[in-house]
Amino acid sequence: MRIDAAYFAQGVTYEAFKASMTRNREELEENERAVTLDPADLAAFRALPRPLHVVAVAEDWCGDVVANLPVLARLAAASGNLDVRVFERSKHPELVARYMKEGKFESIPVFVFFDEAFREVGVWIERPASVTARRAERRLAIYASDPAFGSPDAPPADLPDEVRERLLAALVQMRAELKPWAEREVTRELRELAQRTVAA
Amino acid sequence: MRVRGACVSAKVRITYCAECGYEPQTLALASALMTAFGGRLSAIELVPWLDGTFDVSVNGDLVHSMARDGGFPDAAAVVAAVRARL
Repeated sequence: MRIDAAYFAQGVTYEAFKASMTRNREELEENERAVTLDPADLAAFRALPRPLHVVAVAEDWCGDVVANLPVLARLAAASGNLDVRVFERSKHPELVARYMKEGKFESIPVFVFFDEAFREVGVWIERPASVTARRAERRLAIYASDPAFGSPDAPPADLPDEVRERLLAALVQMRAELKPWAEREVTRELRELAQRTVAA
Repeated sequence: MRVRGACVSAKVRITYCAECGYEPQTLALASALMTAFGGRLSAIELVPWLDGTFDVSVNGDLVHSMARDGGFPDAAAVVAAVRARL
């Protein structure tokens, strides 16, 4: 499979992807509105010598897509230097096979950056490792905060319904609290990736 | 409810990551259990969760865990695990 201009044209624009969503559109658009772009980050994207093409592999059911695709879209819209096309994972197994996280996980979103000649210049997958690590730390803290939650290694189904619901609410709240920071981490990683393309 | 002539003793709980697109696998497994056991199950409970979870427990025994066992369970193996408890 070669990703060139013809292949790229098979993807849909971010707006078309939003229009096709069967769920989570409201949350995605809320995330899009809430993204705060640091002027320095935006300047870095605006300073790209040439626009980059970005293949974004996504699905509307995926929490990481709903959280992180709007960050890319806002950077694209504000900088004018990222030409984004969205490809549904279920319809493009060739992309899944090519861009597995750690070579084995079919994680999304996947953002693949190409230069003007469709030479691949960078790949970003799912979420920053820093976000995964911070969530894991906070998850352990939540379990430690209440003996009723039991072991973080135990299946949640073991918990009584009331306790499980309380635990789920705490985990969801934790993610919400981390969200602004997580978005900045996404922006930071995408900026670093874009700047590497210039250096290369 | 007790179904006449049946031993109603097995409750299956499927805990699935609700942000990972695991609904098809969840529903397929629930369907396989309904087809295999009809009214001989006391309940099939679907529990939405996070963090890539896909756990199946039967009467509280964890018979499959994606984190522990990797991947999705073979429906036939879950059916056999339920049958062993009926």
